[in-house]
Amino acid sequence: MFKLVYRGIVANLGRLILTLVSVALGVSFVSGSFILADSLRAIFNQVSEDAFAGVDANVRAEIGELSNDQAPARFDDDIIEAISAIPGVAYAEGGIFTAEQVYTVDAEGETVRPTGPPVFAASWGGPSPVSSFTLVDGEAPAWQQVALDQAQADKGGFAIGDQVTLSIPTGDPEQFELSGIIDFGEGGTGGAFFILLDLPTTQRILGADGQVDSIVVNGGDTPTGQLLADITPVLPDGLEVVSGETVEQEQKDQFGSFINAFGTALLIFAFIVLFVSIFIIYNTFAILVGQRTRQFGLLRSIGASSRQISVMVLVESMIIGAIASVIGLFGGIGVAALLKQLFSTAGGELPDGPLEIKPRTIVVVVVVGLLVTVGSALLPAFRAARVSPLEAVRDGGRKERSLRFRLISAAVVLLPGIGLLLFGMFGSIDGTTRRLVIIGIGAALSFIGASMASVLFAGPVAGVLGAPIANSRGIVGRLARDNAARNPQRTAATATALMIGLALITGVSVLASSLLASLDELLEDSIAADVFVVGARQAPQFSPLVVERMAELPEVEAVSGSLSVKAKLDGEVITIASYDTATGTRVINTDVVEGDVATLGTDGIAVLESEAKDRGLAPGDTVTIEMEDGFIGQLTIKAVFADQAAVRSPWFIDRELARTHVAADQVEEVGVVFSDSVTFEEGRAAVDEALQAFPQLESLDNSEYQEETQARVNQFQIIIYGLLVLCLIVAFIGIVNTLALSVLERIREIGLLRAVGTTRGQLKASVRWEAVIVSVFGSMLGIVMGLALGTATAVAVPGSFFSKIAIPWIQIAFFLVIGAAIGVVAAYFPARRAAKLNVLDAIAHE
Amino acid sequence: MQRPSRYAMEFAMNDPFTPPSSSATRATVDPAGMAAYAADASKVYGMGDTEVHALRSVTVGFQTGHFTAIMGPSGSGKSTLMHCMAGLDRLTSGETYIGGVPLSTLNDKQLTELRRDRVGFIFQAFNLVPTLNALENITLPMDLGSRKPDKEWVDHVIKTVGLADRIKHRPNELSGGQQQRVAVARALASRPDIVFGDEPTGNLDSRTSAEILDFMRQAVRELGQTIVMVTHDPVSASYSDRVLFLDDGAIVHEMSDPTPSSVFDTIKSLGD
Repeated sequence: MFKLVYRGIVANLGRLILTLVSVALGVSFVSGSFILADSLRAIFNQVSEDAFAGVDANVRAEIGELSNDQAPARFDDDIIEAISAIPGVAYAEGGIFTAEQVYTVDAEGETVRPTGPPVFAASWGGPSPVSSFTLVDGEAPAWQQVALDQAQADKGGFAIGDQVTLSIPTGDPEQFELSGIIDFGEGGTGGAFFILLDLPTTQRILGADGQVDSIVVNGGDTPTGQLLADITPVLPDGLEVVSGETVEQEQKDQFGSFINAFGTALLIFAFIVLFVSIFIIYNTFAILVGQRTRQFGLLRSIGASSRQISVMVLVESMIIGAIASVIGLFGGIGVAALLKQLFSTAGGELPDGPLEIKPRTIVVVVVVGLLVTVGSALLPAFRAARVSPLEAVRDGGRKERSLRFRLISAAVVLLPGIGLLLFGMFGSIDGTTRRLVIIGIGAALSFIGASMASVLFAGPVAGVLGAPIANSRGIVGRLARDNAARNPQRTAATATALMIGLALITGVSVLASSLLASLDELLEDSIAADVFVVGARQAPQFSPLVVERMAELPEVEAVSGSLSVKAKLDGEVITIASYDTATGTRVINTDVVEGDVATLGTDGIAVLESEAKDRGLAPGDTVTIEMEDGFIGQLTIKAVFADQAAVRSPWFIDRELARTHVAADQVEEVGVVFSDSVTFEEGRAAVDEALQAFPQLESLDNSEYQEETQARVNQFQIIIYGLLVLCLIVAFIGIVNTLALSVLERIREIGLLRAVGTTRGQLKASVRWEAVIVSVFGSMLGIVMGLALGTATAVAVPGSFFSKIAIPWIQIAFFLVIGAAIGVVAAYFPARRAAKLNVLDAIAHE
Repeated sequence: MQRPSRYAMEFAMNDPFTPPSSSATRATVDPAGMAAYAADASKVYGMGDTEVHALRSVTVGFQTGHFTAIMGPSGSGKSTLMHCMAGLDRLTSGETYIGGVPLSTLNDKQLTELRRDRVGFIFQAFNLVPTLNALENITLPMDLGSRKPDKEWVDHVIKTVGLADRIKHRPNELSGGQQQRVAVARALASRPDIVFGDEPTGNLDSRTSAEILDFMRQAVRELGQTIVMVTHDPVSASYSDRVLFLDDGAIVHEMSDPTPSSVFDTIKSLGD
């Protein structure tokens, strides 16, 4: 029995190898996702541990639901003395920590920053029990001095003793003496840059005199519980003390949730790839079982039970699955490295660190690899079991299922699939994970159903697609067309693999181009500003000083900065946009349909037309707002704006109201309108001149702004395409595999064709055209599904996100060409193999 | 693997039709007027101890407009001879010609085109491409060469084989005899220099077999075609004009105007 399995695998090794590769690819992606996420988690856990090493207690402003977790609220630093005076406290240090606020500037006047990770600026009191930094060289910074990490110093060309220019949020860049080189914790900075200053200097350049955002306490031998109990009484209202472990855990959780989301996204792609390979494994085993019908019949006639036959096929698939899992596990290391490369190419570099392979990864990978392979072989195994002993002697064609049966079974899978997909996208479901799972199952069922349904028309459609080829390429084309149409099940299963990849790619491209078209429309309709001032991609927020500086320019007529804040509106936490509404609609045309934006002031609010309708609100009505600092106010609705306005929230208020009640007074984008007396060039020159004080910022005119937006959408698209390319590779392997198996099945026919005068070239061409027909069939199915999926998703996304559906026809035509090209390339080896067959051997082939 | 063959030696020495095998005294049969011709053709498989001489310096010609049968026990080299003469296999030494063209000078592509344009084939089974209908199968060699079939001739052939009403059927809709008739029609449709049949009726019952062979003989007599057929059946061989007997890679006997019993007797006498 097992000898048979072994012999079966050895005899079919060549045929099984591509299946093995496709399973291994999918499994590699799974293991790569785990390895990468685990490695990132390890790096960030180390960072969190380093950040709070020696910290027993941490005093900070209370964290509420409206708090900005990027910028903690600051408080008066005089409390430090009181805390230091507590007997259980061994050491206490107040500090300020900021991200993307302060930058070093190199000799060319450019900001020095890493590609992906952030730039932090913080106060540092030098080596201490609570310090997460160590001095590598030089001394800790004193007044008007700065310490930098080695990577930053190298990149900027700074040496100890040099005057280093820092761009600061409260004024023009200033010079600081580089006093020392520091490093972070045990595990290094993870790629981030650090700018360390003493506390008074930090407070001065951040405009936070007498303030800190946390006090870290070392309790020496004092038990943590005692320490917290001792500190609590001295704290004024609004402050809290938590243990070092708590903040460390909070930090880990914050990183963790990001990594989990990232890891989940990767796993989704991994499972898409595995899903695609299921069709290939299924197809391979179905073909192999079909080819061995006689053998199974013989085994049955000499006494093998049907159970034994199916077990035999399943054990074969199990062995393939096991080998593929092991290959995939190690392949995952390569995939993890490749993924890092992909992200850094797309501009989102990930921190460096060793790759982590956890036992959990090994278990998951092996289980997934086995399940997928054995699961895909189940149907073919049952089919093998149904082979009757008589079929050993009969040259039996396979029994065809009735059309009716196929139609019904396809509908049984397809319709619930579409239903789930729609429910997942439009239905009211709690939780993103649940929604994603429902959408995923819906999509999987839809794909399987589409594949089953495609069997019904694979033959005729292949015939129609092949018609131009048959007409123009003569008998070679006709053979190709007929071969593509002769086994609809096989053509459908092969095409499905390509269909899934192209459906997803097309869907994404429809979404991206619709998004861009919507944004373009938005910008054309509602932007009045001549230029926009924006920050770097990693640091969209910057100092409001920029708004003041712009307003001071004689060339500038109107300026408006924007800021999004979290607030509670009538009891519900939402994000509210804000901008300088006194400029009315001169800078940002909010498309007001009722009321006047310029009258908003600090007691007014503007609302989106549809939102007002939903809530039954009208101008003159009031809403209650609660903000980060606890402010509660009644705001009167003074304006209603149209759905197409360039506002990122259904509500907006004046920026003055927003900034006075949040911890981080920042702006995100500043629109500038030049006065009529200057040309655009003069205005632009004046703005750029003023921006020299802020090297991390740049000005963009309308078309540049559009390009920038486009570039961001494209970057996202590239990453998704990069991941989906793996689907196409698996689909490619599937086509190679099916063609190779079909060629093996047709050896005698090929021998005959060669004998009666088919040249090798003609034979190759016919295999190639066959592949093109199958792959174009799959591509077209995929494109149709992708168009439907993409359009449905764009329609389903709520609000004014997609105001327009744009179908990128040129891109889609390109996808079709790619699909056909995949066919041509996939045909290369099978075609060569067919052409190389010895004519006499082929004719005599059993 | 050389079988000592007493009768082979005997016939090789006595038979006036078989040219001596030494190249010095090679018979100078004129290749002109021959549809196909083999000169001093040898084929050796393997090397050293495992060397097998499938053909030993065979010189033979097939005259245009003749129906020849090749007979011999299995392993006698009859199939090898046919394959080499048809351009499906290559000789170890010697030369074969189709319509005066020496095959050893042709590369694979030229050889393929020669088979396509100047040779017809009828195999024992699996003669037809399953995805093409009968007519498409018949015109396949011409379609492959982008040649326009001679419609009148093709119609004539089809009519002669009696397939006119089944011409649009796929092979799996035809009986075994009908399939072989399509194969014969295909072999003749392009008016090749020569048609080779490898046991063309080997899979058929005797009645169907007789029909096909009748038709093949008719094609030679009335249509002026040249057919060479490998068979081990004396009855089949009796339809031919001439029977060649092969053994151990050499032609050991030749017989004109055979009848089933004369062929049978010859086989018997050779076997003794």
